[in-house]
Amino acid sequence: MGNVMEPWKLEPARDTGLTPGERFRSVRRESGLLEGLAHQACFLLLRTYFAIAHRLTIEGRDKLPAHGPFVVAANHCSHLDALALGAALTPRHRERAFPIAAGDVFFQSGVTSTFSAIMLNALPMWRKNCGPHALADLRRKLQEEKAIFIIFPEGGRSRTGSMMPFKHGLGMLVAETNVPVVPCGLAGTFEALPPHRKLPRPVAIKLIIGDTLEFASTANDRTGWSQIAQGVESAVRNLATQ
Amino acid sequence: MNQITRERLFGFRHAFDDRVTMVLTLAALILFLLAPLLIFIATRATNSPPDKRKELWDRYRSWIWVAAFILIPILAGAFWTILAVATLSFLCYREYARITGLFRERTISLIVVIGILFITFAALDNWYRLFVASFPLTVALIATGGLIPDQPKGYIQRVGLGVLGFALFGSALGNLGYMANDWNYRPILLLIIFAVELNDIFAYICGHLFGHRKFVPNTSPNKTVGGALGAIALTAPLFALGAHFVWFDTALDTPVRLLGFGVIVSIVGQFGDLMLSSIKRDLGLKDTAKLIPGHGGILDRFDSLILVAPAVFHYVNYFVGFAAGQPQQIFSGWGT
Repeated sequence: MGNVMEPWKLEPARDTGLTPGERFRSVRRESGLLEGLAHQACFLLLRTYFAIAHRLTIEGRDKLPAHGPFVVAANHCSHLDALALGAALTPRHRERAFPIAAGDVFFQSGVTSTFSAIMLNALPMWRKNCGPHALADLRRKLQEEKAIFIIFPEGGRSRTGSMMPFKHGLGMLVAETNVPVVPCGLAGTFEALPPHRKLPRPVAIKLIIGDTLEFASTANDRTGWSQIAQGVESAVRNLATQ
Repeated sequence: MNQITRERLFGFRHAFDDRVTMVLTLAALILFLLAPLLIFIATRATNSPPDKRKELWDRYRSWIWVAAFILIPILAGAFWTILAVATLSFLCYREYARITGLFRERTISLIVVIGILFITFAALDNWYRLFVASFPLTVALIATGGLIPDQPKGYIQRVGLGVLGFALFGSALGNLGYMANDWNYRPILLLIIFAVELNDIFAYICGHLFGHRKFVPNTSPNKTVGGALGAIALTAPLFALGAHFVWFDTALDTPVRLLGFGVIVSIVGQFGDLMLSSIKRDLGLKDTAKLIPGHGGILDRFDSLILVAPAVFHYVNYFVGFAAGQPQQIFSGWGT
């Protein structure tokens, strides 16, 4: 149904001029009809999988904003995390939901990047040498496209299951904006699929969605990012240990 | 489905029944074998820089893929030909929707896709009345689908763009698919595609040799009057010669009608090229995509064919007609 709320613009796709391979790895990527259907189909399958294999329960779903832009931030200790969060979104949300995934894991080869882009609608975050412009691009995308980002501010999966300190990236996306952050706590994903396991165990997973936080008056600088990291971290910690 | 239809749809053994098919396929093969030699000599003689050379080789390699995409389905059978045309329609529409931003209107795009599927089915089925109905009905559906967001702001743009997209890439290109219902579709399609591609090349060469006066400087600064006229002068008689063999001893087979046919193919082909130039310039783009190395997008390669398809279809339909004697409604008329 496209941009229901926005005026019509004769504007080429932001990824025009990229080769298919470049496009899959680009944060400028915009999905079309087929990719949109692929995302919906993929998340429908995931939803069914989580309901059957992990008896996924979601608390506080009504706290999700009705539409983008917003950022879903959660604790991270399993590859199941992003999939579970994606499955928790409504079909209307999913159209614009982008899991932010590690470039070195999900976008290294042509096959994985095609899969990550087409099925999951993931965007790459390069952990080794990600310049400030990569985050600036994501910040712009979030606001201009009214996107929904699924991010894990710990910057990687916890190997022990206990939460690691949040990094600054989240703050760089939302400081001085009206983009709400939705803190989420995931429990059970570490038991189901810890980093060292290849296949998941059928363990129950619980997702608790917390009250949204806004950082319109938090400065877009190092101190501000740090405040945001701490604020969201404690909110997520509370939810994850409930 | 009777034997004749099955042979037309899947009978690859008939690929070279017609001499024109044989001649054009051989001509293409010879061109592909000679081209590396020509590129080698030309780049050596003019001492062109490495990036220019790379572009030429990129273009050559891409041409092999493009030619395979065209030749293999046409030789293999009408079924594959119609599917190839449908694929081309989808790819062209996809590129168009992405450069115009129409792809963000999912409902409109979905309706265009359904329209293309209808046209494709009508062609496969040899059901002329459905083929004719597909255009106005899809337009009506697009106009209706545009209402769904309940947002009048931008209604004209999204519906207008949807209709234009369907008209060009669904309906106009769909004429190529419908031609495959003719028993003798292979030489017809090959002749048209060959002539249109040669026409582009003639316009380019003539433009370089004796092009002085700019033709439409705002739309396409490299086009010249000399190039346009030269292309007509070369394409029209060549096409007329080929058409003489394809439509031998029919109402079309008079010198005036054949030459007129050639002139139409050349002029309309060049208009198709200019049409895409206008679309790109309006959007401030150089290429429609970066899909085919050395060419750009699918549209950059097939632009000249888009308007030629309906022009040829109706020129032939006026004098001779397509698919004479072929069973109609192959699938939908089952049991009747």
